[in-house]
Amino acid sequence: MRVLGERLPRWPRVLREDLWTLRADPLPRSARLRRAPHVVLCLAAFGVVLGGVAQLRDNGHLGTGTAFPIALAQGGAVVLALRRPIPAWWLSTGATLVGAVLLHGRLSMPPAMPFTWPWTTAGIIAQTLVMLLLALRVPTRVSAEALTVTALVTYALEGVWGAPHYQETGVIAVALSALVWALGSALRGRREARAELGRQATLATEERARRTLLEERSRIARELHDVVAHHMSVISIQAQVAPHLVQDPPPELRENLEGIRHNALEALTELRRVLGVLRSEDGDTDALDRAGTDPHSPQPTLDRLDALVENTRAAGLSVSTRIVGERRPLPSGVELSAYRIVQEALSNVLRHAPGATASVEIGYVPYGLRVEVLNSPSRRPVPPSPGAGHGLLGMRERTAMLGGHLLAGVRPDGGFQVSAFLPVTPRPEAAGPVDADDTSDVKDHTA
Amino acid sequence: MTSSPIRVLIADDQQMVRQGFTVLLNTQPDIDVVGQAVDGADAVAKVGELAPDGVLMDIRMPELNGIEATRRIAVELPHIKVLVLTTFDLDEYVYEALRAGASGFLLKDASADKLAEAVRVVAAGDALLAPGITRRLIAEFSRLGDRPRAPLKVRVGDLTERETEVLALIAQGLSNAEIAERLVVAEQTVKTHVGRILVKLGLRDRTQAAVFAYESGLVRPSGY
Repeated sequence: MRVLGERLPRWPRVLREDLWTLRADPLPRSARLRRAPHVVLCLAAFGVVLGGVAQLRDNGHLGTGTAFPIALAQGGAVVLALRRPIPAWWLSTGATLVGAVLLHGRLSMPPAMPFTWPWTTAGIIAQTLVMLLLALRVPTRVSAEALTVTALVTYALEGVWGAPHYQETGVIAVALSALVWALGSALRGRREARAELGRQATLATEERARRTLLEERSRIARELHDVVAHHMSVISIQAQVAPHLVQDPPPELRENLEGIRHNALEALTELRRVLGVLRSEDGDTDALDRAGTDPHSPQPTLDRLDALVENTRAAGLSVSTRIVGERRPLPSGVELSAYRIVQEALSNVLRHAPGATASVEIGYVPYGLRVEVLNSPSRRPVPPSPGAGHGLLGMRERTAMLGGHLLAGVRPDGGFQVSAFLPVTPRPEAAGPVDADDTSDVKDHTA
Repeated sequence: MTSSPIRVLIADDQQMVRQGFTVLLNTQPDIDVVGQAVDGADAVAKVGELAPDGVLMDIRMPELNGIEATRRIAVELPHIKVLVLTTFDLDEYVYEALRAGASGFLLKDASADKLAEAVRVVAAGDALLAPGITRRLIAEFSRLGDRPRAPLKVRVGDLTERETEVLALIAQGLSNAEIAERLVVAEQTVKTHVGRILVKLGLRDRTQAAVFAYESGLVRPSGY
C-alpha cells in the first residue's frame, strides 16, 4: 500500500512526459508492402472526413462550418499518425470530445433515428487506426496510457455526463481501441525482439573480427619477438667470446663486453616473458602450422623464397618468380614479412583461384622492398572458404608494423593482385648483417 | 676425468654461434671441439665420421632440424650424447628433443662455465642436467605427448621394487650421489641400479628415464 502511495504522485509526471509530446515516430516503409500501408491509410482518412461531415451534418444537424473542422481533424489525425502518433491521438480524441459536447444539446429529444454518441462511426474508425499506429510505434506503456485516457474520456462523457436519447458507442469504441492496441503492441514486441537479435548478431560478428585481428597481431608479434630473441642470444654469445679472441684483453674491454652481455641477457629475459604471454594468448599452435611453417626451422627470410615457390608448385599452382634490382640482405623483420606476404598471397591463390597462374615479383629498390603477387582469374569454380580475408588482414598488419603500405584488389581481368612496399632505411655505415654467413654481401648492402 | 678430453661436435646454422661455442669450449682443458656442422643432415654425417662423445645441437636448423637429427643419431649411434641448444627453455620443442633422445638442453646464452659444465654432466651421465628446469619441462609437456610409445605398463612391471624407487628419484632430478644418500646405500649400488633400469627399459640415459617415468605415470607431474 505504501509503495503504491509513494508511486501515485509520480503518475501525472509520467503521463505528461509520455503523452504530452510532439515527438516524431514515423511509420517506416515496409519491406514487403512498400508504401501501400501509407496509401491505404490516406484513403481511409479521406473516407473518414467525407463520412464524418455527412454524419455530423445530416444526422447530427450540425452546421457545415462546425461539422467540417471536426471531421477534418479526425481524418487528419489518421494522416498525422503516420508521422507523429501521440499528437495524432490527442487530435482524434480531442475532435471526438468537441463533437460529443456540441452534439449533446441535440440528444434531449427522441429523434427518428438515435444518434451514435459519444463516438461517431467516423470517429471510431479514426481512433482505431490512430491507436493501431500508436501501439505499433511507441512503447507499450505509453500506448496503454493513451488507451486508458481514451477509456476515461469515454466513461466521463457517457457514464458520468450522459444524455437522454442516443445510441451508445462508448463500449464498442473502447473495445475496438483495446483490440488494435493489443495487436499493435504484440507486433511491435515481435519487431523489437527481431531487431535486438540483429543487433546481437552484428555485435558477434564485430567481436569475431576483432578477435581475429588480435590473434593475427599476436602471431606476428610472436614471430618478430622470436627473431629479436635469436639475435639477442647471438649477441650474448659474441660478447662472451670476444675477450678470448685477443691476447691479454685490457680490463676496460672486458668490462665493456660484460656490460653488453649483461644487457643482452636482460633483454632476453624480458623477451622470453613477452613471448610467454603471446604464446599463452594464442592458445593453439595451429596458428603457426596454418601458414605451413615448420616450427623447428629458423624464421624464414627471402633466401627461402625458392623453396616456398617450389612447394606451391607442388600443390598444383603454376608460379613464376622475378627478382628486380640487386639482391641484398635486409633487416630480419622486413625479410620475414616479405616472405610471409608472398606465402599468404600464394596460399590465397591456391584457396580462392584454383587452376590460376600466379607470378611473384620482388623488387629491391634503394629505399625498400616491393613485393607483388598477381594471379590470373580462376579457371575452376571457387570453393567457398570460411577463412576468407584472414590472410589479407595479416598482410596488412605486417606491412603497417613496418611503416609500409599494401594494396590488394581484383584486377580488370578478374584476377587478384597484392602489392606491398616495405620501407628500409639505407644504413650509412657498413654495419653488416648480424649473420656472419652473409659477410660477402656487406658491400652491396651499403649502396 | 684427466684421462682423455671430451670430444664435442657443434651443430648450428649460424657461423657466429658455432665459432663462439668452439672458442669457449676450447678454453677448457678437458673439452675438445672436434668439428662443426652447418645443419642437421651435416650433423648426422659428421657424427658418423668423427665419432665424438657428444653433440651440441641447435633445434632450429634448415634442411634437417635438430630434433630429427637427434632422433637419427640416437638410433644409429646411441652412445653419442646430444645436448640441445635453444633460445627458449620450457618449450614444447625442447621436450620433443628430449623424447627424440637428447640427454639435456641448454640455453644458448648460458655462460661459458655453465656450457662446459653441461658438456661434462651429459658426457658423464650420472646426473640430470639442470634438474629443476628439466623436471619442470618434462612435467609440463609429458601430459601433451599423445604419440604412441611402446607399451609402458609391461616395461615398468619388469623393474624390481628398488629399481622403481630409484627411477622415481631419477625423475625428481636427483643425482646418483643424492639417491645413494636418500636410500642409504653406496653410490656404486645406485649406479648398478641405474644401469639395470636403463637396460631393462631400453633407454639410453637418465634423461630418457625421467621422461619415461613421467609418461608412464610412475611420477605425477604435480608438486614441482
